[in-house]
Order: sequence, then structure tokens, then C-alpha cells
Amino acid sequence: MTADGGRARGARAGHAGLAELAGRIEGLLADPAHQGHPLREALADLWGYTNGQLARIERITHISDAYQAMAKEHEVSLGERFERQMRRLGKVARISDRYQEMMRELNTTLRDVSYRDPLTGLYNRRLVTERMREDAGRAVAAGRSYAIALIDIDHFKEVNDCYGHDLGDRVLVEFARVLTECVRDGELCARWGGEEFLLVLPGAAPGPARGVALRVQEKLRRQPLMAGSQPLWLTISVGIAQVRVGEHFSVALDRADQALYRAKQLGRDRICDEDEIFAA
Amino acid sequence: MKDLTISATQSTPEVRTDSEQGILSMRGDSYPENTFELFGPVIQWVEDFLAGSARPLRLDLRLLYLNTSSVKVLMDILDMLEDAHQSGRDVSVAWFYDVRNERIAELAEEFKEDCSFPFDIVGEEP
Repeated sequence: MTADGGRARGARAGHAGLAELAGRIEGLLADPAHQGHPLREALADLWGYTNGQLARIERITHISDAYQAMAKEHEVSLGERFERQMRRLGKVARISDRYQEMMRELNTTLRDVSYRDPLTGLYNRRLVTERMREDAGRAVAAGRSYAIALIDIDHFKEVNDCYGHDLGDRVLVEFARVLTECVRDGELCARWGGEEFLLVLPGAAPGPARGVALRVQEKLRRQPLMAGSQPLWLTISVGIAQVRVGEHFSVALDRADQALYRAKQLGRDRICDEDEIFAA
Repeated sequence: MKDLTISATQSTPEVRTDSEQGILSMRGDSYPENTFELFGPVIQWVEDFLAGSARPLRLDLRLLYLNTSSVKVLMDILDMLEDAHQSGRDVSVAWFYDVRNERIAELAEEFKEDCSFPFDIVGEEP
């Protein structure tokens, strides 16, 4: 340990007095007049020891500072990593939510599609039976009843036989359009199968059900269905029945079917109520 | 380098790798019961390919539905590509979707967000 080093360290340590003290001590130690004096040797040892201790303190401080800096760095990097992971997690959740949303919408679309007749776009048999089943309990509770009308296009087989199925399909689409124009809000209109269509109307039969059927007949009489360039004058037969409070839908449907059969028997192009099933 | 050929199932996508061309392609829905079992080898292939050569790597994706763990795996793979890109590697993603399903494109955009390498989202006519 040099005296210069000790001084320098003293000055760096910020002890203003230490530099001055070092100057004095080193002056005394260098003075040949004190050579051989027992106190001079003791002072030299003490001065060496002091400088050693100062250097140690300096080193400890330095190492300690380095540790602190490292700990600080570690903390920052942990924080950064945590934040990055949180951002990532947020992103995974966001994307995942959107996928789920997409699936839900797809399900809704599929359900809608499964309730429609692909040819005419009308509701299909599945929707009607499901809705009637769902509604049965509520209808009983509210003492509500329905009228149903089963509509069949007369001699439709001949349309298919004469003009082919493509044109037959176009006629069905046209007829569905006419039917849709004749029903009001709250009235259900479905393709029951083949050339059979079903109306479900709230309230008592046959009143409003007969009204819709008459409107359809009227339209068909006034204007032919255009199947491409081919005008077709078609007629319909209709069977009407009441879904009584608490009664199963299919039971009423059977009666509507019988009434329709009766209308066919009586020469077609007519509307029969369930009362007329057994009429002579 | 061993290539992967994993056939699609109801709940897992088709996965194919081509070490010669440097292509990883995945197609279909992904909601596997065991994500690690399916994607473990895929991650491994990407790691090996990136480490074992300096050739370009391209991801060809035609993915539809992804469950949460598949979303995470795909983000892991994209992170690996991003790291490779940062160290100067030629990597890219091409995500193809059916133009009738615009939602897939929006989701691909979400994935693309943090990627600085080329990431194309390409609509395909059915």
C-alpha cells in the first residue's frame, strides 16, 4: 500500500481532513530527524494498517453495490417477464373468446338452416313440431288454442309428370311465395312435405284459418303461377282443425289430414273443416 | 431430418412437414384432447429445423376452429419464428381462409399482431 494510494483513497472517501492528515503523517515519517525513534515505527505500522482497512471498506462497498445492482436488474427482468406473460395470456384469452363466439354464431346459423326447407325457404316440419311441443305447456297454462290448416296443391303429381321435377320445384317455390303473402304476423307457415303446406294460427278454428285459405285460393284464381314461361292455373284443397287446449298437436293434425282427405273426396279445390269429416 | 405426416381427425388438424422445402402446413379444426401429444412433435420439428439449418421456413396454415390450448401452441410457434426472424432468419407465414368465412381472417390478424416477419392472410374462393 503506497502512501499516494492511501491519500488518493482518503480524498475519494470524501474525508477532507484525511488528505491533510495523510500529508502530515507522511511528512513525519519521511523526516530523517525521526529515524530510529520508537514512535516513528509504531506510527508507520498504524498508518499502513489504517490504509489497509480503508481499502477493505472500499472493496466491500463496491461488491455490495454490485449485488444491489444485480438484484435490481433481476427484479426488473422478472417484472418484464411477468408483464410479457400477462400480455400473452390476455391475447390467448382474447383470441380464444373470438373462436368461441364464432362457434356460437355458426351453431345459430346451423340451427336456423335446420329449421328451413331448403327449396322454398319456408319453415319445415322440424320447426313446427318443436315449436308446438315447446309451446304446449304455455298454451295450456294460458288456455290458448290454435287452428291448423293443411294445404295440398291439387293434382301436383301431374305437374311433375308433365313438366319434370325442375319445373315442379319452381312451382313449389312460387306457391310458397303466394302462401307467405297471405299469412300475417304471428301466423306460422311451413312446408310439411312434398306439395303439402301447413299453417298454424293462434285462436279458434276455422275463422282465421279459413280466411287465409280463401285468400290463397283467390290469388291462384286471379293469377296463374309462373313456372318459368309456363303459366299454371292451380287449385288447392285444405283441411282445417282445432288444436284444443291440452291436446297433443299430432292428434289435431290427424283431424286436419282427414278434413283434407274429405276435401279431396268432395272434388278438390275446396276447404273442409274438421266438422265436415263425417258429413254425408 | 424426419418429417411429420399426421392425418386429420374430427378434432385435430392435418399436419405435414417438408424439411426439403422448409414448409410446415396445418389444416383443419383443432380441439385435441391432449394438446401436447399432438403438438409436441410439431414444436420439436420447428426447433430442430431452425437449429439444424439456415434455410427459410414457411408456415402454410388453413386452420379453422382452434381451442384455447391450440391457440397457445400456435402462439408459441409464432414466437419461435419471431425469435428466428430477429436473428436474421428467413421465416414467413401464409394463412389461407375461405372468403365466405371472414371471421377466420380477423382471427389470423390477431395472431399476426406481434409478428414482424412476413405474414400473409390470403382469401381463397371456394
